[in-house]
Amino acid sequence: MKSYVIFKQSLKAIFANKGRSFLTVLGIIIGIASVISLIALGTGVQAGVSDSISTLGTTNITIMPGAGFSTGASSGEGMGASPHGGGGGFNLTSSTLTVEDLNSLQDESKNPGIKQIAGQISNSAIFATESGEYRYTVMGTSPGYLEIQQLTVSKGDFYDESDVDQTIQVIVLGSQMAEELYGEIDPLGDNLSVAGTSFKVIGVLEAAAENAFNNPNTQAYIPYTAAAGPFDSVNFSSITVQAENEEAVEGVKQSIQKTLLANHQISDEKLADFSVTSSADLLSVVNNITGMLTALLAGIAAISLVVGGIGIMNIMLVSVTERTREIGLRKAVGAKTSHILGQFILEAVVLTVSGGIIGIGLGFLIGSAAAPFLGFTPVVTGSTIALAVGVSTVVGLVFGVYPAAKAARLNPIDALRYE
Amino acid sequence: MSSLIELKNITKIYRVGDENTAALKGIDLTIEKGEFTAIMGPSGSGKSTLMHILGLLDKPSSGQYLLEGVDVSRLSAGRQAAIRNQKIGFVFQQFNLLARTTVLDNVLLPTIYGKAEKSISRARQIIEEVGLSDRIRHKSNQLSGGQIQRVAIARALIMEPSLILADEPTGNLDTRKSEEIMQLFRDINARGVTIILITHEESVAKNADRIIRLIDGEIVSQEENAA
Repeated sequence: MKSYVIFKQSLKAIFANKGRSFLTVLGIIIGIASVISLIALGTGVQAGVSDSISTLGTTNITIMPGAGFSTGASSGEGMGASPHGGGGGFNLTSSTLTVEDLNSLQDESKNPGIKQIAGQISNSAIFATESGEYRYTVMGTSPGYLEIQQLTVSKGDFYDESDVDQTIQVIVLGSQMAEELYGEIDPLGDNLSVAGTSFKVIGVLEAAAENAFNNPNTQAYIPYTAAAGPFDSVNFSSITVQAENEEAVEGVKQSIQKTLLANHQISDEKLADFSVTSSADLLSVVNNITGMLTALLAGIAAISLVVGGIGIMNIMLVSVTERTREIGLRKAVGAKTSHILGQFILEAVVLTVSGGIIGIGLGFLIGSAAAPFLGFTPVVTGSTIALAVGVSTVVGLVFGVYPAAKAARLNPIDALRYE
Repeated sequence: MSSLIELKNITKIYRVGDENTAALKGIDLTIEKGEFTAIMGPSGSGKSTLMHILGLLDKPSSGQYLLEGVDVSRLSAGRQAAIRNQKIGFVFQQFNLLARTTVLDNVLLPTIYGKAEKSISRARQIIEEVGLSDRIRHKSNQLSGGQIQRVAIARALIMEPSLILADEPTGNLDTRKSEEIMQLFRDINARGVTIILITHEESVAKNADRIIRLIDGEIVSQEENAA
């Protein structure tokens, strides 16, 4: 009952000067709105990047040769093959991932939870055609790769396991690559010279979405056994494993680690000559980066909150002076210092929190209005709102204390006599 | 049984610049429960200072103030606030009410700061007693001077205090209105509430049982009022 009365008094005092209260709160509104909209944008970017990473397959695990890269951009590179026109980034002769490794990973009794597995030998090669020579990325892999990367064939066929086993010299082209090399002509059945070896075109892939690290449309695919010739390598530049579901990813990672350590006769995990990375690992790295950027932006926006808080403090000081006699009267009828202190702090907090709530709405509107121009959707989460309310409460407390203390310290006689 | 109020050699000295000015020079005063006392004196006589000390709004420089047998003059500000809330009702000359606040809320103001939960029905009853039942939802700026003082009296009564301190309660009112207010004080006193009235008007003071005259910080006379 009493706290309700005191709250009602605060509202009354605030509404007694509507215009002034609103202008004062405007600073807080702008501050909170900018914090909210910037966090919403940051969260939106994060969600966008996460989505883009998810197109790689959240259940995918990549095994890379070389010393363990646990975090950082190097694990990103390992998510797929080399980007278009690049390639050759890995020293294939020193790759430690062998066909034996691939075969042992395919043993379900040792590695449960694996749905699909494909080794890749990736390199760039010169394609010689009648119209000239072009450089593209060539991926030596097995048919499972198609499913892992969610690719589909639009024309002809993909090679099958028996083509791989028999080292058949066939090639499947990415859609853009087929377009660039053949234009309107049907490429099926044509013999294409790849790094000096002749491959028969048997299929063209459907155009697929580019992801953050890989453009499947500008690559060509050959059986990995056939890649050994032109690339002078029998070992894989990476092995991609697809777990049955997201829950299985960690277990699969561990069993891969164990199997390969045993294959390579390494007892100390730290000395592993390969690394096992899941999409989730990459996701956490990216989330870290975007999270930091968001915090930075929100921090800059928070400066305006401080300015708004000073405005609140200023107007509360004016209010205390104006209401000196009221304070005297309240003290005369028994208000203690703590009552007056509480009343004025509450008033400041009510001001800032109402500013915070309006600011949340405004920030949300700004974010939504900006969405069409950004190509991603800003996201306002519950924690963002909680943060805004919390921050505006703290601003009210911090900047309300000084005026409230000034009011509470007033001597009742002086206050009653104040003209 | 002890008296309601006992003042023993109360002094109040203000320091103005390098000079000490004594506003009260050793006041001895006893007020019994249920008395209606007027304190008179010209301006500068120290009557307001005395009233502030009686009302625990100010502390004496020396001397003892016993309220219901307890020395209250040296208590902490918080304890004094609690005593003001529970035992003393104030009626000031002006600025008595919260602005833009209803009669009911003004009367209920002391209950916000009190321990005991005083009900709204009690407030309604008191407002009726002071003759403002039809104004209960009116705001303070919609009231006349006389009505404002009636609200102040109702507020002074809400906590059922031992003492009502009225500082020139009729100072801003015409003769007829001030007569009505004084009648109200007499009615309240008749029910046993102790009243101390500060005034400089003989016509107002004559409503009291006893008139205490103060000049230059000293009591110069105490007379029983025959009327």
